[in-house]
Amino acid sequence: MTVVEGAIIYANLVVLLAMGLTLTYITTAVPNFAQGSFAVFGSYVALTLLRLFKIHPYHSIPVCFMFGGLLGVLTYVTILRPLIKKEASIVTLMIATLAWDLILLGVMGAYSEYLSHVTKKPAIKYIFTPYDFTLLGFPAILFFSSLTILITLLGLFILLYKTKFGVALRASMENPDLAEIMGINVEHTRLFSWFLSGSLSGMAGCLLPFKQEIVPGTGAIIIVTIFAASIVGGLSSVVGALLGGYIVGISESLITYELSLIFGAEVLVYSKVVSLIILVVTLLIIPKGLVSLRWRKWLGSIS
Amino acid sequence: MAWEHILTEILLWFGLYSIVAISLNIEYGYAGIPNFGRALAVLIGAIAVGGITNRILIAIFNVTGSFAVASGIVKTTVNEIVANNPIFGISLMLISLVIAGILGVIVGAIFILPSAKLSEDYLAITLLAISEVAFMVSYYNPEIIGGYYGVSTPDFFAFVSGEYRVFVFMGVILFVALIVYLFAERLLNTPYGRILKAMRENEDVVKSYGRDIMFLRIKTVAIGSGIASLAGALYSMFTANVIASSFSRVEWTFYPFLMILLGGLGNNRGVLMGVLAFVVAKVLLTTYKYEIRAALNLPFEAVWLEYILFGVVAILILYYKPEGLIKEKPIVTKPIRERKSFK
Repeated sequence: MTVVEGAIIYANLVVLLAMGLTLTYITTAVPNFAQGSFAVFGSYVALTLLRLFKIHPYHSIPVCFMFGGLLGVLTYVTILRPLIKKEASIVTLMIATLAWDLILLGVMGAYSEYLSHVTKKPAIKYIFTPYDFTLLGFPAILFFSSLTILITLLGLFILLYKTKFGVALRASMENPDLAEIMGINVEHTRLFSWFLSGSLSGMAGCLLPFKQEIVPGTGAIIIVTIFAASIVGGLSSVVGALLGGYIVGISESLITYELSLIFGAEVLVYSKVVSLIILVVTLLIIPKGLVSLRWRKWLGSIS
Repeated sequence: MAWEHILTEILLWFGLYSIVAISLNIEYGYAGIPNFGRALAVLIGAIAVGGITNRILIAIFNVTGSFAVASGIVKTTVNEIVANNPIFGISLMLISLVIAGILGVIVGAIFILPSAKLSEDYLAITLLAISEVAFMVSYYNPEIIGGYYGVSTPDFFAFVSGEYRVFVFMGVILFVALIVYLFAERLLNTPYGRILKAMRENEDVVKSYGRDIMFLRIKTVAIGSGIASLAGALYSMFTANVIASSFSRVEWTFYPFLMILLGGLGNNRGVLMGVLAFVVAKVLLTTYKYEIRAALNLPFEAVWLEYILFGVVAILILYYKPEGLIKEKPIVTKPIRERKSFK
């Protein structure tokens, strides 16, 4: 796996996670601090299928999609909806997702030890790279992660712009109150956004072990990248998450690599510093993210 | 295990967590700033002891060698001096605390800067991200506080014999916690303290009275971080060995949030009760983790159970008792007290 390939693979996964975060932020107005653990949950679903049923992780992408979606729905229904009904503040909801993240960490940590006890194989710390193969001279994960993105984008496009449900979904994202007056059930759109958020993260989690080592606490580390990507994009735009995901994902890998050529290999562990700097610079210069820039006006002035 | 041991452990952690929880209460309970990066300030306190005081001592005693080796040598030298000269040890402790406080204030003020103008969700995200990255860097970089190997620091109470050391530390930590508590109580009943609560309730009103929200936020997080940093310094002095991995988000950001939610936001007495309840549960869980594992026949470590338990408790509090054990009371200012006594 060359550096550029690795950067693209990583960026693909960051895009999935950032889009997941943005979707729920748009409908529920709460940044989900458990998004990283959603991904690790997907990784554990894939690991379980691999260890117990010998199913290759690439084949378990649909299963991870489903389980991830269920986790998303569970998060909304059991944790957030009761609090929203009691008109809890945004900070309360954020603390709730932080608590949910800790619960997920506990559950996955316990499960990982149980799984390694049952299968007598590592589950507390694992990687899928040995299960990958070469396709047309490239690692297969490059194709699979890109294919996942393409299918996701196509699916989202058809769903949002070509179906009646999509119109309702977009309406309730733009203005929930007005949408409700027009007879759209905002509850359904929220539930659906949480399903989608969870399932995108589940797929990302299924593929993440091909790129990096997974431990139960991995979610706490990748959350920095996810937040940076979403904020660069503007936090409330799916297109922004797509842009931000690629910018942050690729620069995190490439800039760290370039720096490692100058300062030596020990710089490689500080990749998250790059994400953080991008995040801070974005907040200082364009706090509302890339989508808040008036691209048309810019382009108009150039041409 | 002996009950005296459990009791000291509870009091020690009660003191440490009281300091952190009160600092967070000033920021979140009073001022409504959701500082999801509390752990950073505590880590700064540890850096003040393990990274700065240690280096000063290394320079004074002119010890050569790598940071880790030199710290070990300095530890032995300083411990010998302190054993015969208690005043030297106590002044070292005070200097370390001052350094920790100042460094905490500076870092707190800088670390809120990028997000001081933003809404609370952006604020929380940024603070969490900065804290998480700082944790990671100090874990991977052995030059700051020894990274994953950790670094040993001198025992500033080497003049106390081993069996009483823990009690002396317990006393010092509880004393600092008491001062912090009194300070926070006084702070609340000043014009500044009242403007913080006003800011929490409605930022626009505060703005319309000509107050700068950004400046208020920077000042508050600076104060809060300075206080929390003391806890990190005290903890490092007590263990006499700093390891970056013990300053995780769960232990120093999430748990303090849980404690102030449990006790009651904006209310220091409630927060102390919350801390006590949490610490008792935590110390018992840690002390009896093997027994719990054996009794429940768990196929995994009890620490995961602890995470699940405290996560569930936090959500239950948010849902059933968002005001905490003791509800916040209105501030009794001097004119109000006088009017009450007239009636």
